[in-house]
Amino acid sequence: MASRWWRWRRGCSWRPAARSSGPGSPGRAGPSGPSAAADVRAQVRLGGSRPIPYINLVKHLTSACPNVCRISRFHHTTPDSKTHSGEKYTDPFKLGWRDLKGLYEDIRKELLISTSELKEMSEYYFDGKGKAFRPIIVALMARACNIHHNNSRHVQASQRTIALIAEMIHTASLVHDDVIDDASSRRGKHTVNKIWGEKKAVLAGDLILSAASIALARIGNTTVISILTQVIEDLVRGEFLQLGSKENENERFAHYLEKTFKKTASLIANSCKAVSVLGCPDPVVHEIAYQYGKNVGIAFQLIDDVLDFTSCSDQMGKPTSADLKLGLATGPVLFACQQFPEMNAMIMRRFSLPGDVDRARQYVLQSDGVQQTTYLAQQYCHEAIREISKLRPSPERDALIQLSEIVLTRDK
Amino acid sequence: MNLRQLLLHLPRYLGASGSPRRLWWSPSLDTISSVGSWRGQSSKSPAHWNQVVSEAEKIVGYPTSFMSLRCLLSDELSNIAMQVRKLVGTQHPLLTTARGLVHDSWNSLQLRGLVVLLISKAAGPSSVNTSCQNYDMVSGIYSCQRSLAEITELIHTALLVHRGIVNLNELQSSDGPLKDMQFGNKIAILSGDFLLANACNGLALLQNTKVVELLASALMDLVQGVYHENSTSKESYITDDIGISTWKEQTFLSHGALLAKSCQAAMELAKHDAEVQDMAFQYGKHMAMSHKINSDVQPFIKEKTSDSMTFNLNSAPVVLHQEFLGRDLWIKQIGEAQEKGRLDYAKLRERIEAGKGVTSAIDLCRYHGNKALEALESFPPSEARSALENIVFAVTRFS
Repeated sequence: MASRWWRWRRGCSWRPAARSSGPGSPGRAGPSGPSAAADVRAQVRLGGSRPIPYINLVKHLTSACPNVCRISRFHHTTPDSKTHSGEKYTDPFKLGWRDLKGLYEDIRKELLISTSELKEMSEYYFDGKGKAFRPIIVALMARACNIHHNNSRHVQASQRTIALIAEMIHTASLVHDDVIDDASSRRGKHTVNKIWGEKKAVLAGDLILSAASIALARIGNTTVISILTQVIEDLVRGEFLQLGSKENENERFAHYLEKTFKKTASLIANSCKAVSVLGCPDPVVHEIAYQYGKNVGIAFQLIDDVLDFTSCSDQMGKPTSADLKLGLATGPVLFACQQFPEMNAMIMRRFSLPGDVDRARQYVLQSDGVQQTTYLAQQYCHEAIREISKLRPSPERDALIQLSEIVLTRDK
Repeated sequence: MNLRQLLLHLPRYLGASGSPRRLWWSPSLDTISSVGSWRGQSSKSPAHWNQVVSEAEKIVGYPTSFMSLRCLLSDELSNIAMQVRKLVGTQHPLLTTARGLVHDSWNSLQLRGLVVLLISKAAGPSSVNTSCQNYDMVSGIYSCQRSLAEITELIHTALLVHRGIVNLNELQSSDGPLKDMQFGNKIAILSGDFLLANACNGLALLQNTKVVELLASALMDLVQGVYHENSTSKESYITDDIGISTWKEQTFLSHGALLAKSCQAAMELAKHDAEVQDMAFQYGKHMAMSHKINSDVQPFIKEKTSDSMTFNLNSAPVVLHQEFLGRDLWIKQIGEAQEKGRLDYAKLRERIEAGKGVTSAIDLCRYHGNKALEALESFPPSEARSALENIVFAVTRFS
């Protein structure tokens, strides 16, 4: 375990330590001491549910590893053209799309209802312009698990349906979130609520959710149904978590990570688990898939939160400083607050006073909040890679490894 | 604090005052009915809706009143109750819905759940398929069927809450501050989603994919039905240009589908065959249609209606009236009943009552009631079946 810290410090390119995966030699002492690293590692695995002051641990580590702090989001060590399986380097998105051709057409078929305006509203985001990040992970995971199980290069229809369902559940939650946040644009176009009004937008979200549930039921597997209905509950609970706020600084971070898991990572983690259940009977594989999805999901959201500060509106397709304007204190803000305690008052009042949003943004950009959050995201990515590396080598497995790196370096 | 105590405090908590809001679903409570010429009249036909319901509750073993509230008020969600409380003093519809739920719980009007329980009991265990022998059964109803009844109520309540979302760009100054409406919308969406999530989890626990598919498709129907209801803007004062058959299709979506499919699902849980499932479906569908038509007819038959009482222009009697009259003549009548852009409902009501709309609606209600009773004939006679019959008698009763 400590060996990984060393490798990071030397800034070498990330090679999945597949062959020698294991807890790592406890003998080698890292600069920060094995116990602190172990604690953070444990925190990362548990998703921050232990009451250790997380922020302090991370700061401790980053001060001990100065190189790490200077690694900006844009530092991307290009992976070798050869992966462990020896096949040629491919873009993971292209690889994943091979199984997803016709994804949006198929989703629209699930939304086939007679009411034309409602259908139009529900189909609005299934126009092929989204990132389709979740379906791609699902498709790649399906193949990786099938190959691991019995070298099968075949993707089951039910596994492909999970990709559809994941995208539908995600979109339904987006439609509702946009009404809740009174958002006016998404993916470069007006939101459903702005065009058709809030009443109808809520119904469109409900329709997409019901269509996803029907598709889920038709797969005919009760375990898979249980796994994915958990996502629906987590999404709602995540929103509720966002409504409330915590007084205590340490609680705030754990609260933030829990919310991040429920709102973003749960869908990816459970979709991965669902395809693994369909492809392979081994519970160890199910857990690997789940852990990969969970860690990538959290990293994805952390970077999203960073991009809200560092990118400008054109690239994102939605306005930035959006989180601050909604009164949300995300990773960069929470880290910045360590350096600038005067932010506490603003956090407590959810940036509601005029000028709060701009001041908070300035504090964040002056502090190392962005770097800290990025570093944290890297840790989650590494955990994801560690997990997925336990599967049998395949182009898809390697694509999943690459994907988690892409999560770190994307700019929209 | 147990559930009952919590419910005792809720009305004050929600700032409830005044008489409970009459939801479109709730039949009139003060109809004194005389027994009309009615096929299959039971000598025990009760005179009062409440009596029907409370007898039915005894048959199924416990009051069905608190179903969807139970999860709203669970520890985790005292959050929701707190958030809804912030809406006291505003005009957001969610507050009215919440109050209605509380009051209705006392009046036991969570009808769908009750019907599902009754039909489960009336059907009993499957004579053909004995694989359910190991399930536990209380008062003649399997615990999975009880769960299903609760899930049905959850779905119904979720959409009831989602119906109360407000379009922000249609707000008037009389509606109060924008901030309140936005907050109300937020809580309404989240509460509705929470109820739906609970419903989905409950469905997953039933471990029966056919049932999940049935209820999910019922939800899809319900969403479309609510969409049609909402489509008529308040300002236009025009009935949709639809005939009665389209009206029936839309009403099936918004009122019939959930109960029909839920009754069918209850049969599936007990592993009854397709024929029994279909009969249960038919009962649910026709009973729900009668119920809706009954509440639509109420504004036209009450003797002591105040002049300011409004009615829904897309209700059964009005749609039938339009169909008899023809669209153009109907539009003319609406125009004549308008004074300075405001509709004089009393005047319009007179016009409608003078036509054939109301009597046709009553006939239609009885038609559906008959179909519901027909469906019941295939169930063996029992207390539960009689209770279901009494429900039909009660909803097809007019003074």
